[in-house]
Amino acid sequence: MDRLAVKYLRPRKTPSTACSGCGLGQVHKKILLAIEQLGLGINDIVWGTGIGCSGRQTFNTWKGDNFAGTHGRVYALATGLRLALPEDKKIILTVGDGDAFGIGLSHLLHCARRNAGITVIVADNFGYQSTGGQYGYTTPQSRVTDSSPYGLTDPNWLQNGLDILNLLRDAGAGFLARHLSFEGQNAVESIKRAIGNKGFSLVHIIYPCVTHFGEISLKTGDREAIFRWFENLFDGRSGDPGTPAFKSGIFHDAVGARPEFSAALKAWTSSLRQKENPRA
Amino acid sequence: MNMAGSYAVNLDFEACKACGYCRLVCPRGVYREGPAFNRKGFKVPLVAEESLCTGCLRCFYVCPDFCLDITPSASGAVREKTL
Repeated sequence: MDRLAVKYLRPRKTPSTACSGCGLGQVHKKILLAIEQLGLGINDIVWGTGIGCSGRQTFNTWKGDNFAGTHGRVYALATGLRLALPEDKKIILTVGDGDAFGIGLSHLLHCARRNAGITVIVADNFGYQSTGGQYGYTTPQSRVTDSSPYGLTDPNWLQNGLDILNLLRDAGAGFLARHLSFEGQNAVESIKRAIGNKGFSLVHIIYPCVTHFGEISLKTGDREAIFRWFENLFDGRSGDPGTPAFKSGIFHDAVGARPEFSAALKAWTSSLRQKENPRA
Repeated sequence: MNMAGSYAVNLDFEACKACGYCRLVCPRGVYREGPAFNRKGFKVPLVAEESLCTGCLRCFYVCPDFCLDITPSASGAVREKTL
């Protein structure tokens, strides 16, 4: 185990049960690096997880307080926790693309609307890979998957003028960024900014599923071919108009522009109490 | 400044799942295909040329299994670099 795993992760959960070549550990590692570089400890963070590959591989790995939410509902649970916990306790959620951009999208948008002080890391593997590789809400168009044997015709959240991060920005998110799991310190810097934000932040990190997306959609199990395909998704390197093209980095930064949900609610409650009972 | 030879490459043999990303991103050829399998049946890469490591950390950032650490072997801090 490396120093990050020794410092922050439970030994019986490391190494994870993820497939060889799965990029989820790269996402996990970048969150831990951000935590380390911010000088935060085990007791400073409550870690919540969703369902699917991202939930299973990161659940109960954190040495400190942690919990698993039901599919797509972890944002609502975390909003309640935000109200109950002291302001300096950070809440980090690791969820998948199905959890965030499909089943839990409504909860996620309301979490952004309220500007709840939560950091959401969306680990996106382009579909429901833990159940066998069915397409999801970010699966690239035309791709063959377990549930689209003739190619995917359903529009996704990332192509043809749609971007899920636009929706989250319009819903009121304070900080949004997008990265590839192979990236280095630049991705860590975005996560640090997200954790440092007192309001709602989301970092969308795309990572490779070598087992289902690789073998069914890319028709290869070769790690280097899969690595290159994912690398070319960024900064217009693919050259294929049918393949999504992303820009790595900060998408939207309005940190501090809106009051944080729990702080505003506590201040309002306090003012009401004062009004009702001025001598208290 | 040539930083080669200033870093120790620590690979946890049993934790490695042989994804090969470290070999793929290393610009100096520090890793090679290894001769041995670990207890889980993965053919773990070999740290063949540790003295060539410049501490760029590319392998550290892409290792998904928390089995790789790059540490200064003598003096000086590890230089951080982005991919």
